[in-house]
Amino acid sequence: MTRSPRLRFRSALIVPTLIVPVIVAVAAYAATPQEAQKARHEHYEQLGDAFKAVRDNSRGDSPDWAALEKAANTVVEASVNQQQWFANGTGPEAGKTRALPEIWTKPDDFTAAQKMLSDRAPKLLAAVKAKDAPGVQAAFKEVGGACKNCHDTFRKPED
Amino acid sequence: MTGENPASQARVRVWDVPTRLFHWLLVAGFGFCWWTGETGRLEWHRWSGYGLLGLVIFRIYWGFFGSSTARFANFLRGPRAMLSYLRGAWSIEAGHNPLGALSVVLMLALLVAQIVLGLFAVDVDGIESGPLSLYVSFDAGRAAARWHEYMFNALLWLVALHVLAIAYYLVMKRENLPAAMLHGTRSFPVEVQPVRRASATRFFLGVILAALLTWLVARAFQPWA
Repeated sequence: MTRSPRLRFRSALIVPTLIVPVIVAVAAYAATPQEAQKARHEHYEQLGDAFKAVRDNSRGDSPDWAALEKAANTVVEASVNQQQWFANGTGPEAGKTRALPEIWTKPDDFTAAQKMLSDRAPKLLAAVKAKDAPGVQAAFKEVGGACKNCHDTFRKPED
Repeated sequence: MTGENPASQARVRVWDVPTRLFHWLLVAGFGFCWWTGETGRLEWHRWSGYGLLGLVIFRIYWGFFGSSTARFANFLRGPRAMLSYLRGAWSIEAGHNPLGALSVVLMLALLVAQIVLGLFAVDVDGIESGPLSLYVSFDAGRAAARWHEYMFNALLWLVALHVLAIAYYLVMKRENLPAAMLHGTRSFPVEVQPVRRASATRFFLGVILAALLTWLVARAFQPWA
């Protein structure tokens, strides 16, 4: 069935009219504090996963250097990106999170804690690239220390 | 109690040294493992977990090759036996009665489950983990850690029940079971067969077996790594 150009144009308008609000709604939803909290949680789970990979692969005589490099890269990226994960309003007031209010009431201390990780993570990557197994173990301990240092003050303990 | 005669008031050997040692080391180890787990001393928690693993392996071995009263075949009699015992129609023997037998099985089963879960567990940061966790994903390790926590609550309830039952026997039935587990002897109102002990060789074999298996587990079955 042929339709007049004007009718076809009007029909075509239906598509963007339906899609645009959906896109806007999704974008708005993703930007809510709750979504940000969820995304943050998933980022840290990924970090834990990478940490486990470093631990698992650095045992024994023949570490899996490829897997180690992939994991160490994740750690380095997370150590930098995490500075974006704590926007104002994404604390306990917004929903369920283990992020403590101290993050926003002591921003300088928090930044320093995050910096400890972003300083130490590259050393882990360097040891991995150099295939220095004892160096990896040492760097892993140091990075773990940076995690603990921040968590002790800024993450709610498990109940 | 009726039917007593002075001759059968003499103390009879019930529990041998390995069984008693196992029992009390388990109590101490369980407590220590609990404390270290609660207070985040995860390195020590892992070590005491290995200790408990060794103890449990030994007990299972002893349940097949040990002294008579320690053997599973000796006290696992099935539900009908339990009913006769509860009705008071059970003939007295040295060793676990059918109801006590149930608690032994439950406790050993829960302990094994708890230890296995711990072997695969991973903490939230991926830093501390059990030796076998490298064979599973981060998510699976986290699930094991959660279930390790739930299972512990079940164990605690069982321990509480165990203690309550012992108290009941002590107060209401005037049977001093803790003393029996400490000294290995107790008196019975009737004549009973004392424990037939197993040889020292068997004991040492069991210790070596438990130590070897625990060591293998701690090395994640990769002794060469």
